[in-house]
Amino acid sequence: MVTIQTADDATESAGATATAFGISYAITSILSALLVIWKESSESVHNALTAITGHHWVTHGVLDVIIFVVLGLVLSRMGGGIRMTGNGLIATVVGATIISGLIIAGYFL
Amino acid sequence: MSNEIILMLHPTFGVLAIIASVWVFVETLNAREVNVGRIRNVGVLAAVLMWLAYIVGGYWYVVFYGADKAIINAGPWPFAHSFFMETKEHVFLMLLLLTTFLAIAVQGEVAKVKAARDLVLWVSGLVVLMGLAMEGAGAFISMGVKVALLAKPV
Repeated sequence: MVTIQTADDATESAGATATAFGISYAITSILSALLVIWKESSESVHNALTAITGHHWVTHGVLDVIIFVVLGLVLSRMGGGIRMTGNGLIATVVGATIISGLIIAGYFL
Repeated sequence: MSNEIILMLHPTFGVLAIIASVWVFVETLNAREVNVGRIRNVGVLAAVLMWLAYIVGGYWYVVFYGADKAIINAGPWPFAHSFFMETKEHVFLMLLLLTTFLAIAVQGEVAKVKAARDLVLWVSGLVVLMGLAMEGAGAFISMGVKVALLAKPV
């Protein structure tokens, strides 16, 4: 027998781990988009990123992955978990994706 | 020859990741206890395939793309690099994290909790749309090289 939870769908959560990593994704994607502008606008930042791994894009990717994983783990282990509704989390993830994409595409347009 | 195979593996893994994400989306529309295991497995598969697309494409980009970049910039479609490649290489990092997040989101109570199910639907849908955008951008980059080579005097 399938049980679908229907009690107050608007306030239910998608789960503590999903919420933590969803927020982490949103923050990381915005930071990543801002790093694009920063490194493309500043030769010293670009060179610093290149110096770390040999290529600015590789360093950028490694930083993104580290921030996403560490932030997700920290948020998921906070006492009681992050309180956010499923709809709020979806809006955060989708909104961050659209804003980050527009920042990046807009910069190179 | 091996360089070209590396280049072809990148969109191949990308397309497979898109197909896996479509699979997750459709299975999640009909999420039940009997298929929740499959949703979780295919969600993880989508992330693994996207990581393979990233590693293979990234290797090619870092090691071999410089020559193509010079060809594109000397040709009639310099925007194939200045807009499409620059945007693609950075938006792809978001797509990689989003697909990794999909693998995490599918571990939730997708069959029982509407919020968990809606989240997987939105994330898998976004992965599909962004993946298709990456494929399209890749087509512009390839065409940028092609039109540059065709424009060269014989």
